[in-house]
Amino acid sequence: MRIVTRRDFLKGASSLGVAALGGRAIDAIGQQSVLRVGVVHQFPIGEVGWETQHALGWKAMEAAFPGKVKTTVVTDVVQAQDAERVFRDLASQGHKLIFGTTFSQMAPMLKVARAMPGTTFECCAAITTSKNMGAFEARNYEASYLGGVIAGRMTKSNVLGWVGAFPVPQVVWRLNGFLIGARSVNPNVTCNVIWINTWNDPAKEKDAVNALISQGADVLAGSPNTPVQGIAAEERGAWSVGNCSDFSKYVTKRQLTGDILDWNSAYVEAARDVMAGTWKSQSRWRGLGEGGYCRMAPYNAAIPGDVVADVAKREKDIVAGKLKVFAGPLKDRDGKQRVAAGAVLPDNDVRSISWVVDGVKGAFPKS
Amino acid sequence: MTDAIVPVLIATLGAGTPLIFAALGELVTEKSGVLNLGVEGMMLVGAIVAFITTSATASLWLGVAAGCLAGAAMALLFAFATLTMQANQVAAGLALAIFGTGVSAFIGKNYVGVALQSPPASDASFASAIPVVGPLLHALHPLVYLSWLLFAGVSAFLYRSRLGLVLRAVGESPDSAHAIGHPVIRVRYLATLFGGAMAGVAGAYLSLVYAPLWLEGMTAGRGWIALALVVFATWRPARAVFGAYLFGGITISQFFAQGAGIPFASQAMSALPYLATIIVLVLISRNPVMIRQNAPVSLGKPFHATV
Amino acid sequence: MRFASPLIAAALTLSTGFVLFAVLGKDPFAAFHAFFIAPIASVNGVAELLIKASPLVLIAVGLAVGFRGNVWNIGAEGQLTVGAIAATGLALQPALSESSLLLPAMIVAGAVGGMAWGAIPALLRTRFNANEILVSLMLTYVAQLWLSYLVLGPWRDPQGFNFPQSQPFSDAALYPLLLDGTRLNASVIVALAAVAAAWVFLGKSYVGYQMRVTGLADAAARYAGFSARRTIWIGMLAGGGAAGLAGVGEVAGPLGQLLPTVSPGYGFAAIIVAFVGRLDPIGIVLAGLLLSLLYLGGDAAQISMGLPASIAALFQGALLLFLLATDVFVNYRIRWVRAPRFHAEATA
Repeated sequence: MRIVTRRDFLKGASSLGVAALGGRAIDAIGQQSVLRVGVVHQFPIGEVGWETQHALGWKAMEAAFPGKVKTTVVTDVVQAQDAERVFRDLASQGHKLIFGTTFSQMAPMLKVARAMPGTTFECCAAITTSKNMGAFEARNYEASYLGGVIAGRMTKSNVLGWVGAFPVPQVVWRLNGFLIGARSVNPNVTCNVIWINTWNDPAKEKDAVNALISQGADVLAGSPNTPVQGIAAEERGAWSVGNCSDFSKYVTKRQLTGDILDWNSAYVEAARDVMAGTWKSQSRWRGLGEGGYCRMAPYNAAIPGDVVADVAKREKDIVAGKLKVFAGPLKDRDGKQRVAAGAVLPDNDVRSISWVVDGVKGAFPKS
Repeated sequence: MTDAIVPVLIATLGAGTPLIFAALGELVTEKSGVLNLGVEGMMLVGAIVAFITTSATASLWLGVAAGCLAGAAMALLFAFATLTMQANQVAAGLALAIFGTGVSAFIGKNYVGVALQSPPASDASFASAIPVVGPLLHALHPLVYLSWLLFAGVSAFLYRSRLGLVLRAVGESPDSAHAIGHPVIRVRYLATLFGGAMAGVAGAYLSLVYAPLWLEGMTAGRGWIALALVVFATWRPARAVFGAYLFGGITISQFFAQGAGIPFASQAMSALPYLATIIVLVLISRNPVMIRQNAPVSLGKPFHATV
Repeated sequence: MRFASPLIAAALTLSTGFVLFAVLGKDPFAAFHAFFIAPIASVNGVAELLIKASPLVLIAVGLAVGFRGNVWNIGAEGQLTVGAIAATGLALQPALSESSLLLPAMIVAGAVGGMAWGAIPALLRTRFNANEILVSLMLTYVAQLWLSYLVLGPWRDPQGFNFPQSQPFSDAALYPLLLDGTRLNASVIVALAAVAAAWVFLGKSYVGYQMRVTGLADAAARYAGFSARRTIWIGMLAGGGAAGLAGVGEVAGPLGQLLPTVSPGYGFAAIIVAFVGRLDPIGIVLAGLLLSLLYLGGDAAQISMGLPASIAALFQGALLLFLLATDVFVNYRIRWVRAPRFHAEATA
């Protein structure tokens, strides 16, 4: 029989303690090398749509750094007041990099960023940044421009249709890009616009599409993030240009192409920089091309080869900086010249764009 | 001229159809004396259940049937709470609307933004052979025809059948009906279930034919508008159908107006249907005699048999 | 029983929650903790709870005044919006932006705005007999569209790159913070004042008594000469004013500016709060805290356990349905009787 002496006891206890502490320490070191990332979505993540493209982004981030990145995703945070609380909760629970996915989260994120300087924040579609908060947004008007070029060549009635949710700059710059592209190959084309004033009513989208088609449009594009427009257009035999995600799974025959949002680089680069300690606050606004934030959906087989070749060339030119979408001369709907010949609309003016180019018909708030 | 009108007509018929189903169903419910405010919730649940069913089975009609049953199931909850447990009908109806919204969002969370793979045809191709009105009929979905059949059925039931008479009696004077021996509570249960079933069909139409996809809250207030339509119709089926198309027409015409470039602020145009509902409600309600003559006397009041 | 039935309903809801958590494959106890306990386990958590509860309680007491008199104001969401718009209208005046009177003026404006929006259904009901449920609800959509027009048009922030938002408010237009490091602001005081006012009005004033009688026994009230018209007006104005105040609380509080949507459905959630609180001011405070906990828990459970977001809405609706069902024990006494031998329909 072995008598357990005090010495043995002390030895045992201390080794247990060391093991525990050591284990904790190893845990802590291990945890330090896993970056906890928080992502806040406004709406549920579906199969396609705005939230889905963001989900693809953070999934790409997880895939790029296997084992080193752990994401916590919160969805259905619809209002700004709740977003502020969620950001704060995430930040105070050890998430070192937090993403906001929409413009309305910018203001609450700014407040929380001020209060939690040790955490890095990134907000999609934000227009202001701060020391520990960056922003990223897509120049998807470049993709809309290419979509417009195809639309301009494929339309037979010379009337395009656009169904918008709200006339905010992110939508308006795409509408302008679309029509500028169309007019660059077909100067007689016009575009009828309907604003349905809601993000969430597919029946209204369908009604608007039908109204536009009945009024002569044969290529539809727009801003809502669901395939409803494309499906409705296909039913009536019209073409559509998708938006946000690739809808060709649902719009099997008559989707010409689409401007797809691609946030992979945004997520991956932010995570990489935070892990390397080189993150700097900036407002990234990229379009087509490698590491960019948008790309084109596959082109419909019905599009003639020369059009596809033309579009491919234009895409190369845009990426190389040789072709600028908002290059003058550009007149707005009331005839006022907005960009002189030879000039290019400055970035800030594009960001805040509130006028529509000549050729757009429909209601629009006065700017 | 016809070229311009026909698309508007077709779109109006389509837009009015969910309202017809929901309003006629609620009309029957209210005729029996039960005020069910939960139409919005029942429509949403019907919409998501129908959507899930059709996604899984690729059958439109199975989906519609499933939506119908789901709406009836929600109505059963309400009926149990108000008819058996004697809860306040207004409060229970509101609870049903809120609960239905939550339940539909919950069970639909894997289907958000998903569109049907091969959406069922939105038209009735068999009708294209009919001359003259063929193209018009061809463009309408079978459910639109069904809504007309429903209208005929409800009218015939309410005003030309003995059961309909019993139902109306239950709504006008449940005590007398009970004294004669009619099963008041059972009649009300059935009427409420019917209302729920129709609301479910309305929701199914939205998510299977109109959209065809699922988004949370996609009914966007149509359930409440259906409730208003029943009052607007002074509880008469024909007026309910008229009101549904009127409302649908206003909603559609604002899009055509926008597309044609009429320069009103788009938000003002979007508000038109709701303002129109208010104005119409006021005009109808203005004559209290007409309301008193037409509204079921026991509407909203709980009934319990006193021997 | 009056106080037991909400507790029974709450218990039923929680047990439903347990079952749901298990069905979703999560440990029910851990989920329970994440949902109901963790969110309020810190000072900041309690502050967030109070911030979330105060607009709910505020609107609910206003609505309760009306509901007690059978005046069904369902348009609180729209009245909140108009209250926010009215307050913003003042906040955006450059001449007032530093004045210490700005916040009080905004509070008054918000209340008046909400009351004005609530007066429309009241007027249409008293003059034209139009159902106030439907009118107030339709006006909600109209108010929302009006708000959208304002933030996209005339009230757009000139420095905002034409995005839909108003200028951020100056400091004089914001509610002062009560507790440093949290978001708890003075709008909580407004809510408490409303609770006190409702308690006095409903419980201790003659007019409040009249409204309660009208709601319980409409014929008796008419026989006694109580004015149905006054009941309707007071009911709608109380609800509208309270909702308008809540609107000010949002734009002068956590938001700090006017946005395309200012409320996460407070106007509708307040209806649930009013009923769960049995239309009684004290009960409403408790119900408001419970419902806010459901909101907070929904977000917290997503973060810590990956539970789906729609659970919170499900809980709310379930709570209300259970409550209405358990109400039967309040209104009726259940007795077992043997069915009589002869053919008559047995009483329940």
